[in-house]
Amino acid sequence: MNEWLAIVGAGVATYLTRSLPLVVAFRPTERIRAYLEDLPISIIAALAGAGVLAPEQRVAFGPELIAAPLVVAVAWWRRNILLAVIVGVAVVGLARQVLP
Amino acid sequence: MTDPKAPRGSPALLAIREGWPVLMTPFLIGVPFGVLALEAGLDPLQVSAMSFIVFAGSAQFASLELFRGGAGPLVVVATALLINLRHLLMAASLRPHFGERPLAQRLGLAYLLVDESFAMGTGWYRRGGRGVTYYVAFGLAMWALWNLGTVIGILAGPAMPDPRLLGLDFAITAAFIAIVVLAIRGRHEVAIALIAAGAAGLLRGAGLAVVAVVVAGALAPLVTRLWRRT
Repeated sequence: MNEWLAIVGAGVATYLTRSLPLVVAFRPTERIRAYLEDLPISIIAALAGAGVLAPEQRVAFGPELIAAPLVVAVAWWRRNILLAVIVGVAVVGLARQVLP
Repeated sequence: MTDPKAPRGSPALLAIREGWPVLMTPFLIGVPFGVLALEAGLDPLQVSAMSFIVFAGSAQFASLELFRGGAGPLVVVATALLINLRHLLMAASLRPHFGERPLAQRLGLAYLLVDESFAMGTGWYRRGGRGVTYYVAFGLAMWALWNLGTVIGILAGPAMPDPRLLGLDFAITAAFIAIVVLAIRGRHEVAIALIAAGAAGLLRGAGLAVVAVVVAGALAPLVTRLWRRT
């Protein structure tokens, strides 16, 4: 039930961001425009950071922290999301087998 | 919805012909979304309903991470809202091309507005394109492939081996890292990303799991802005 509420709510919220400027006039100030442009990177980075630093809801030095710099490096040099994900998954999977 | 001045049918064909490399991505990302959404505890109907209703990749992946952490609807909706606020800018920028159409049509056009359809549509208008056929054709193809990818992921999901053992639970996080790295264009954004990531990790580690991402993500751009001013 809660999941349905979240799904429909997220859909309505998303649709509002798409449709409002097409229905009413929207002229953001330069400052608001800059903030809105920064938001996606910030939130996606926050998601990544939460998954890397506290994968089990507490701060830990685990396989995720070993894999993260490698994912950054592969993404940076190869500009390829899929390849970076494969490397990250492989490193975490391997580290879980090797580490105690 | 065809523009009388454009040759019939051709803007739609052009949209697919020019856009096919971009059109691969919703499918290629939709499949893992379907797999991981099942793993996050949603049932198949919910997963495919989400791709149908929300139709926004980053927000949908983000919600999986939140569902897994036990977040309630309010946090999921707030996070989706923040991630998708950028659409306000895109819609405002497309408004001059859509503005004179009837309200019902504009509401339909809004549903197809994603990063990719914005980029392709803007390219079309910049080189003198008119009408909405190009934008609609590309947007519908995006939508169809995203939902098709999701369904295939749902069907393939149960056949996947134990995700934790293989490190597959890290796939979403790795995808977020790569998305951020590819999107970064300057030092300002590096600073935002590092602050947001560090703060979210610490907040979640401190037991504030459900609000960590929203709080860190919403505040990091403000922090860097204050920083630059001092």
